[in-house]
Amino acid sequence: MHKIAEVEIQHDIMVANRKLADRNQKILDDAGVFSVDVLGAIGSGKTSLIEILIQKMDHKIGVIAGDVISKFDAGRFEKYNIPVVGLNTGKECHLDAHLVEHAFGDMPLELIDLLFIENVGNLICPVDFDLGSHVRMVVISVSEGDDTVEKHPLIFKEADLVVINKIDIAEAVGADQDKMVLDVKELNPNIKVIKSSLKTGQGLDEIINIIEGFINK
Amino acid sequence: MHELSMADAMVKTVLDVAEKNDATEIIEVTIEVGKLTMLNPEQLKFLIDVLVENTLLEGADVNIVELPVELKCNLCEYAGLADMDDSDHYLAIVKCPECGERNVEITAGRECNVKNIKIEKEEGDEDA
Repeated sequence: MHKIAEVEIQHDIMVANRKLADRNQKILDDAGVFSVDVLGAIGSGKTSLIEILIQKMDHKIGVIAGDVISKFDAGRFEKYNIPVVGLNTGKECHLDAHLVEHAFGDMPLELIDLLFIENVGNLICPVDFDLGSHVRMVVISVSEGDDTVEKHPLIFKEADLVVINKIDIAEAVGADQDKMVLDVKELNPNIKVIKSSLKTGQGLDEIINIIEGFINK
Repeated sequence: MHELSMADAMVKTVLDVAEKNDATEIIEVTIEVGKLTMLNPEQLKFLIDVLVENTLLEGADVNIVELPVELKCNLCEYAGLADMDDSDHYLAIVKCPECGERNVEITAGRECNVKNIKIEKEEGDEDA
């Protein structure tokens, strides 16, 4: 005889990821490491910004460089003689908490106090996947167009700091940089938004001060 | 394209539970997907159909139920459905539908939940 049975599962993949993310944050807290997720569009300046922060910030910094093929970005960070773990996502468009937990195995957390986790360049997929970092920094640039924020609201809703980069070329690409700031504020009224140019150095001190503020909070 | 990894995780979850419950056949699966997840139900369904080939799940009915967006207003205390136009995520998460306040928290709409399965099993197989 066969019988039909209904089985409740209630397994939420997002909740499962969040649990792993909480565990990651505990690992970081126990090691005394503050962690910043760096998310943003392709070519917006995520890697360049982290390179500058490595040189300018007075911290023992490590970087987890996530990318579809991570060796290119990882190679850029290794020049600064800091701990770097490249994290290949292969076909995946985002990092998740499970991948980051694996990367912790290769990252000497005891040697650092500030960890940047650079996500895959993408304004959509990484949003739903907490990694366990303490804050999220989103980097976009004017060259993606001044409607970028409106088109990808969720990532800005969830961010702690937004950097709008390459404002030195805003006029050339016909982007209204102030509109981009207002669009972020519309989604997230209390968030810090910094207009920057990594080329001229504009906005860098503010970015560093804000990150230091997060660390000391 | 993270529908693939999500579909894969869902299929694994279902097969794992079916096996633990000594299922001989899986008749139906219900999956809940929040409207604010960056998952396209059509793509998800297509990928699940591909992934289940030659598994116990092949031939099962896969129901994907979309869950609405809900939010809580930090000003007027409204808690409930967001104003949602299917083509526009922006409006839904920006403003309280009651008072128009922008300081709102998203409380639902981001689920990706394997809810339940209907299976066939041998009579008397269940744990005593």
